Amino acid sequence: MGQTQTKPVIPAACWSCNFDTGREHFCTACGRIQPLAPGADFFSFFGLPQKLQVDAAELEKQFHALSWKLHPDNFGQAGKRERALAVERSSQLNDAYRALRDPVRRVEYLLQRAGLRKEGATKQQAPPELLQEVFELNESLEELREARQSCNGAQQAAPLRKKLEAAQLNFEGKLGEVDAQLAAAFGQWDAALAAAAGEAQRAELMARLNEILNRRSYIRNLVANVQKELAEGIV
Amino acid sequence: MGRLVGIDLGTTNSLVAYVDPATGRPVCIPGPHGSPLCPSVVSVDADGSVLVGESARQRLLTQPERTIYSVKRLMGRGLADVQDELTLFPFRIAPESQQVIRVRLGEKTYTATEISALILRELKAWAERHFSGPVDRAVITVPAYFNDAQRQATKDAGRLAGLEVLRLVNEPTAAALAYGLHEKQRGLVAVYDFGGGTFDISVLKLISTSEGDIYQVLSTNGDTHLGGDDIDNLLLARARQEILEHYALDLDEHPATLQELRRDLIRAKHALSDSDSATVTFPLPSGSVYTRELRRADFEAQVAPVVDRTMQPVKQALADAQLKPGQMDEAVLVGGSTRIPLVRRRVEEYFHRAPHCELNPDEVVALGAAVQASILDRGTSNMLLLDVTPLSLGIETMGGVVAKLIPRNSTIPASAQELFTTGVDHQTGIDLHVLQGERELARDCRSLARFTLKVPPGPAGLARVEVKFLIDANGILEVHARDLRTEESRRVEVQPSYGMTDAEVERLLEESIDFAEQDFAARQLIEARNEAETILRATEKSLAEEASREMPVSERRAIGRAMTALRDAWEGSDYKLVRTRTDELNQATAHLAELLMNRVLHATVEGKRLDEV
Repeated sequence: MGQTQTKPVIPAACWSCNFDTGREHFCTACGRIQPLAPGADFFSFFGLPQKLQVDAAELEKQFHALSWKLHPDNFGQAGKRERALAVERSSQLNDAYRALRDPVRRVEYLLQRAGLRKEGATKQQAPPELLQEVFELNESLEELREARQSCNGAQQAAPLRKKLEAAQLNFEGKLGEVDAQLAAAFGQWDAALAAAAGEAQRAELMARLNEILNRRSYIRNLVANVQKELAEGIV
Repeated sequence: MGRLVGIDLGTTNSLVAYVDPATGRPVCIPGPHGSPLCPSVVSVDADGSVLVGESARQRLLTQPERTIYSVKRLMGRGLADVQDELTLFPFRIAPESQQVIRVRLGEKTYTATEISALILRELKAWAERHFSGPVDRAVITVPAYFNDAQRQATKDAGRLAGLEVLRLVNEPTAAALAYGLHEKQRGLVAVYDFGGGTFDISVLKLISTSEGDIYQVLSTNGDTHLGGDDIDNLLLARARQEILEHYALDLDEHPATLQELRRDLIRAKHALSDSDSATVTFPLPSGSVYTRELRRADFEAQVAPVVDRTMQPVKQALADAQLKPGQMDEAVLVGGSTRIPLVRRRVEEYFHRAPHCELNPDEVVALGAAVQASILDRGTSNMLLLDVTPLSLGIETMGGVVAKLIPRNSTIPASAQELFTTGVDHQTGIDLHVLQGERELARDCRSLARFTLKVPPGPAGLARVEVKFLIDANGILEVHARDLRTEESRRVEVQPSYGMTDAEVERLLEESIDFAEQDFAARQLIEARNEAETILRATEKSLAEEASREMPVSERRAIGRAMTALRDAWEGSDYKLVRTRTDELNQATAHLAELLMNRVLHATVEGKRLDEV
């Protein structure tokens, strides 16, 4: 019998009444606001399960609604303590929204919490099936750079640019494919969660998500390089 | 309690405004000359008396060595940052300046913060004259692209001027607020703010919700080293060159003349916004007359590189917001330099639409500041500003690499946590270096502050300190450290890289000869009483809330006693006692505050659980 999520079993006693708060926002016994748990779960801040498919419009509405309630500007007349609380709370709100609104950041966040990814680290993995195309692309980039520097550069550059533009389109297409794979994997994850999948299955899904992220990173880098190279020489 | 105003502390001109309660509209307060514009110029006499504004501007021509303009360009900066500008400014930097620049005006030296405080004091006096009553709180605007040191310097200047700075607001956001109120726009808005010394571009989303209007900044970018002054410098450099060549006169030896020439060139620049040509007829000290016709086409060719420099931040801001120029619903022009036709054309070309400039580009920022001030005054409103931090925040790690903690364009307040431990046995301090910027290496980023975390001695790796970096609603950094083993938490005092510590500002407040006329203790008493009044009102309001019934009677009584004690202290003249009683009331109402906050959050999250299935 698996659980829907592994919750760290750290006993958290309420600082006021000593009751076990289970790391919730408020102590269920005396109702006092608890100190923000270190590395608080952003999903639960919005009252969301750790599902990867999120309705962006709905999330934004929640974000706006909570902003009205928590923003320090609305505590201009309140006492010092309330104002400090408002700053703390709204910063958590903003951090949570930042993590969840972008699908890639969202899954990165999920994987970070599971310990599969380190924050800020981007690993890139060259998809083996693309190695040939990547090799040709790098060659074209090099040729374009050389052509630019030579004397009849403009002439030579034109057909090379065409080649690179085609390559750019190609890789942008690949990026679209990877994004579609990611979206599909999101669906699989959510389904697994709903079916109360076991530890092993979830671990497998997370590994797959991680792998897709690394590939995406690589391809996105390629596209960025080509864009940059093509943009050069345009005033 | 005194009144509250909005202030635009500009490079070239400063303004003060407030919201007229009769109309609900913001309006600028005029100065003694009738204009709402106060030139950001300060001059100090031999006897120490200070002139600010129009009268100081006259002094630029007669006594340039005692007068300073565009001091905003020096705020939050070190000596190394302003080297290239020094040649074109007449005032002298004191040689002992390093991390905090001191300017020599006559016999004394002043920091940029102190000079800005003098400008703010002048505006405060204008407002007090207008209201026939005290003004002690303000919202002050800053360029969106100002870094932490520049913001802190602005806040310090407010404090030195005797103003409680309720909030620093980014200039483009303030302008959006003024326009939003005026035009009732919604949708995606680009604010292009080209002032005397700084350039900002902000991309905002304006939405109407059931609670009211939200002004959400999506991205911001800019250059705090780019403005109308650079255009003036180009014109001045060329004129000096021509005079040198044709009249064999080096104007560097005639500083007063240089300032007069600058004034005439600026006049010509203004004229060129409406005409195709303008003539400068300038008598030189040698007796000859320098005559020059400036034609608009030439002028535009000459200053085009400066205008081009504004487009790079614009492109970056749009890229960060993941938007294309054509997707903007509106473009808004702010700042005096947007009167230049070339600038307007460029903006129109880029955004494919005619930009708004109905509101006076000189006044719109102050008007927006006044609106924000009234929002804070009432503590509730149907307008909400969600702004962002313009620069990424990071810490220096091994090898001089920056680890980014909070990315640029994060909505503020924003925070990040990092866990630290000791690397060697018996280590008692962990040194941290905080930076702002987008580059990979620490040496390419802007140093913000340094501090040392104290840890009890022990074997390496045993200490566990969690540090929280918080960027508050002003865009200023706060650091809190928590020892995970003892669960003790405290605010960390950081040593700013380009500014003054709280203690230093405090000392300036005490030492300042200018403020000696106002008894220091009397001012402290006013501040303490204001704080007391705020908490007394807030407590009364909280006690009237339904949720307060959950408090035990003993607690209610304790609060009552604390309130009485505070009221008694308020009547007296011992500001320290007022502060003590205020703290005591704060403590007595801590539980109550949390009860109410708890209620608020419960009500929101409870009713809005999303169901994905």
